[in-house]
Amino acid sequence: MADVATAVVAGEMTVEMVQASQIGMKAMAAAIAVGSTGIASGIAETAIGSAAVGATAENKDVFGLVLLLTVIPETIVIFGLVVALLLLF
Amino acid sequence: MFTPEPMSKVIIVAQKDRMAGIIEEVYRKHIFHIESFVEEEEDVTEGCKIGMPLPSANQASKDLLKLRSMINAFSIPKEGTEVEAKEAPARLRQLIEGELPALEKEVEGLLSEKTRLETRKKELEQKAENLKPFADVPFDLTLLRGFETMAVFSGFYRKLVVLNVPHEAYYSPKKGEQFLILVVPKEFRQDAERALLDAEFRPVPIPEAKGLPGEEIESSKKAVAEIAVQEEEIGKKLEDLKKKHTGFLLACNELLTSEVERAEAPLRFATTDQAFIAEGWIPRSKVPEFKEAVESASEGKAFVADLPVDPEHDKVPVEYDNLDFAKPSQMLMDLYSRPKYTEIDPTFMISIVFPIFFGIILGDVAYGAMLLALCLILGRMLKGDEPKMLLTTLRNASISSIVFGLLYSEFLGFALPWPPILFSRHLNIGAHAVGHGPAIPELMMMAIWIGIAHITLGRALGMINHARQDHGSHRTKAVMANLGWILLMWGILAMIWSAFPLPLMPDFSKLPVVVLGVNAATLAGAIMVLLGIIFIVRDAPLELVELPSIISHTLSYARMVAVGLSSVAIAMVINFIAIGMLIEPQLENLTVLGVVFIVGGVFVFLVGHVLNMVLGLLGGALHSIRLNYVEFFTKFYKGGGIKYNPFGMKKRFTED
Repeated sequence: MADVATAVVAGEMTVEMVQASQIGMKAMAAAIAVGSTGIASGIAETAIGSAAVGATAENKDVFGLVLLLTVIPETIVIFGLVVALLLLF
Repeated sequence: MFTPEPMSKVIIVAQKDRMAGIIEEVYRKHIFHIESFVEEEEDVTEGCKIGMPLPSANQASKDLLKLRSMINAFSIPKEGTEVEAKEAPARLRQLIEGELPALEKEVEGLLSEKTRLETRKKELEQKAENLKPFADVPFDLTLLRGFETMAVFSGFYRKLVVLNVPHEAYYSPKKGEQFLILVVPKEFRQDAERALLDAEFRPVPIPEAKGLPGEEIESSKKAVAEIAVQEEEIGKKLEDLKKKHTGFLLACNELLTSEVERAEAPLRFATTDQAFIAEGWIPRSKVPEFKEAVESASEGKAFVADLPVDPEHDKVPVEYDNLDFAKPSQMLMDLYSRPKYTEIDPTFMISIVFPIFFGIILGDVAYGAMLLALCLILGRMLKGDEPKMLLTTLRNASISSIVFGLLYSEFLGFALPWPPILFSRHLNIGAHAVGHGPAIPELMMMAIWIGIAHITLGRALGMINHARQDHGSHRTKAVMANLGWILLMWGILAMIWSAFPLPLMPDFSKLPVVVLGVNAATLAGAIMVLLGIIFIVRDAPLELVELPSIISHTLSYARMVAVGLSSVAIAMVINFIAIGMLIEPQLENLTVLGVVFIVGGVFVFLVGHVLNMVLGLLGGALHSIRLNYVEFFTKFYKGGGIKYNPFGMKKRFTED
């Protein structure tokens, strides 16, 4: 921040530029929040998902249960999404 | 509507000589869910044995086996075959005895001929394949076999063969094909082998054939072609037979299947030397009618009575009892698990909530209309109950999508001529985009409110379920635990509302301070949270680790906004690329190349929107059903009921 302040004072950056870069930073943060949580959910769901498909192939009745187990890690990306939306709006 | 169909346990006792007649009548009624008799059980039926199949079972099973093998040979699909006219069983039985064996013989003959031809064809093809390297050899292949003093090599080589012993060689005249036949006296065999090894020689066995190889190949090919013609003829004959007899075969299949089912029914009955006992379940409303039918079928010689039902220990089969409107959603319930007999049946709630959620996610007039058209067209084409139920569910969902599209003012990502009545989901995409942008906070809060309502309903149903199913102190504790979860959620909400002002939510932050710097709402919220936790812990202390789920489950409903917004964004991007970037700039200044661009733009527009509609259908359906399964059902629903499967058959091809 000190650098930005000196840069503004020195006339190298205008206030508009600083505001624009702040918006960009926010967007970047939101992207990281959604992106990284999405990857995390994906990694967590791969193992559960493949096991779930196997179990369903053996016994169709477990479909409801394995669906529950498969979507448990989705919570992570939901939190990421909420964080991103809070950052942006 | 909210509970499964009430069932009665019915017992039929009669003499064994009445068994066939009673089975016939019960089968025809198609309402009796047989409870199979198990010998070990020590109850009133102690000393009884499992019954023997009726005498007709043996012959009928044999006939059925042959018939099914024929149906397989013709590859007649079990479902979806049109019914022309129903056959009378008596006539059919005559045909089974008269015509079926002849037909069977004919089909068997054709099939074995087909197999023979296939084998012969493979042999010939293999022969031609073996001869292929020798195709251009201008002498009889018998000349290469049977030497006592000579060694013959044939095969492909990579490098030039250098041989310093007496030999005769034939090189393939074709360019690029390095094929060689080499004859050397036996004493030089080793030298030749070494030389060939250096040339990276790959030997090919000399085929057992007479005459010129080229001619042999030709004649094999001719023979294969002839066989193919014969095969085609047989295939045509089989196809003709299939066309002619499909209806007959399926009718026979139905008749024999029902005969076998009836003949084997005694395997599920308890029998003594002279009598038999059949136990089973019937919807309560149909008991008198059933009693009367069985009694008249046995000329009053059967004892039929309904027994007291113990819903906790009896394995009561479950049949849905829903309004016609909610019936298609039973498919969604069966996908998860059928409700238990004592449980609340949430089919009706799903049938309302699922389309609403779908509409909130995919609220677009055009997509909704396209899906609706698709459902109606497919509904005409597809046969069978399950696809119909699925399509009806989707039809309701797409109607809801149109309604929400009108509310959101969305048409393929464009705005309709009025501002959004609900909240705006229009994003600012493209260079000229102006406008307010999406009302994200309001949309989020709307989704959260729906979540709060849905979860509270789930917990309330949980209280009812526990009150219906449990006993003693556990019942009170379980009911209180569910109340505890409701208190906990609303307590947390009250505390949040008194800390931050949020759109669309009550604002308690301005309330006067009561004690220790906290206001009344915070205090009430804290008390509710505390009470909630106490209630939950009293029932099951381990549930404490589940406490954070109350937040994740409520926030999970935000997915409705997120998935919906992504589909809007894709639609708008497609519009921007197709119209804003490809079509519009060209229209201003039309050139020949511009026409190509415009065609490209139209292509992007069509393909993009079809793709987005498919994505929206998948996303919308999956996420709304998931919210029901995961966030709603886990609060109250166990499932695992036995499907009501009455003894009998829906006749499609034969008359009763």
